[in-house]
Amino acid sequence: MTSAFLLDMSRCIGCEACVVACKTGNELPIGRQYIELIEHTSGTFPNLTGGFQNQRCYHCSDATCVAVCPTGALFKDDGLTRLNRDACSGCGYCVQSCPYDVPKMSDGRASKCDACASNVGGGGSPWCVTTCPGKALKYGDREEILAEAHQRVDTIKGRYPNAQVYGETQAGGLGLILVLPDDPETLSIPADPPPTPASANLWKNWVQPISMGSTAVAVAGLGVLGVIARRNHIAEMNEVEGSEEAAVAAGDGSEGINDA
Amino acid sequence: MPDTNGDQLLRYRRGQRIIHAVMAGSFLILLFTGLALVWSPLAFIAAGGWSRYLHRIAAIGFMSVPILYIVFDRAGAKEIVTESFKYDSDDVAWFKKMYRYVLGRTAEMPPQGRLNAGQKLHHSAVMVFSASIVVTGIIMWGFKSSLSASMLSWTAMIHDLSMLALALLLVGHIFFTYVYKAWSSMATGYVPKEDMELEHSKWVEELEHEGAENTPA
Repeated sequence: MTSAFLLDMSRCIGCEACVVACKTGNELPIGRQYIELIEHTSGTFPNLTGGFQNQRCYHCSDATCVAVCPTGALFKDDGLTRLNRDACSGCGYCVQSCPYDVPKMSDGRASKCDACASNVGGGGSPWCVTTCPGKALKYGDREEILAEAHQRVDTIKGRYPNAQVYGETQAGGLGLILVLPDDPETLSIPADPPPTPASANLWKNWVQPISMGSTAVAVAGLGVLGVIARRNHIAEMNEVEGSEEAAVAAGDGSEGINDA
Repeated sequence: MPDTNGDQLLRYRRGQRIIHAVMAGSFLILLFTGLALVWSPLAFIAAGGWSRYLHRIAAIGFMSVPILYIVFDRAGAKEIVTESFKYDSDDVAWFKKMYRYVLGRTAEMPPQGRLNAGQKLHHSAVMVFSASIVVTGIIMWGFKSSLSASMLSWTAMIHDLSMLALALLLVGHIFFTYVYKAWSSMATGYVPKEDMELEHSKWVEELEHEGAENTPA
């Protein structure tokens, strides 16, 4: 079982209660927020279309941010993308790589929604879900959320002919299932975000561990070999000199090793 | 400074020693501050941002090495580049017996010039991987925001692999410095002649030949 959010944009009234609840509930400092409401309008008055883009983490299954995070600060858990800020080095690769432009830098570290991991872990709900007055947000089992999303789309099709479920397949399947009244592009959401590049997985899963491991092995191996080789070299030099004193020193390897 | 000092031979001129110190110092800072970016136990150092500034300052120091070399010791710079990429039959024979050198035994190694074959390989590898780490570093420093996720990961991967190669070369460098008691040579510039006769006999012969030529009849 994996969890997911349902975000029904046909019900979002743009009140920003979720923004405030998220910020206060998570005790986010000034300048830092996980949700941003962006109003999109197109057309000419009075024939205007558009709506609110509820910009927040999409919790991709195929999460590029997780793939490029060198320290493992970003990771997948229960189908959602969590962030351990203590492990974040602030490299900014996630900010650069996210197809939805979600993570931001704050106080030198990455910042993004972690689906209220502490609240949910204690049996509660994410702050935004608890607060939403329009019932546009829901949190629960992903399969149930998907079924409800499809049901909602069927219900609103008469009013919004282009209504659709977004997030079932995009980026490997999102942890944020959207009910969109119109095509995703109308809210500046990419219809088909690019997959995580193979190079990111190669770098994170192979190059980095092999680099760390081989360096550690080289240090340990040559450290031991160095003691043996230096004894050999001292003995050889003493042999070349041919002096009796040197021959005695060569017999006591520890003396030679400590005279660096 | 004379080329000899009793039974010591001058191996590293003052300019070379200063350039070596700049390179070693900047490289160690780059290694440590770079590690802080990718290794979570050190992430707290990088997260505040100051180590990333230090990384950039050290990068300028590292990139200045070839410029310093050319400005202060043009002949030395030319010498190290040409010597590092030129191998003769003695060098090939040396590689075949390299395991003996690794074990601290030089008596039966083929005769070597100022740089032995391993040092040539070390220097040439340092030049190649330094170039790749500098190019990828500049890309990430100045153009990170213009890179796609794929380009960013390729650039970071080449940067990391270059640093892996340089770190392994450093481990080897420290290993041989310890085994062959060479710590002081880069501080004073002088090395014992008897060591050089064993390890770099062609170079000693060359120096003696030059000395004989310069001696008035």
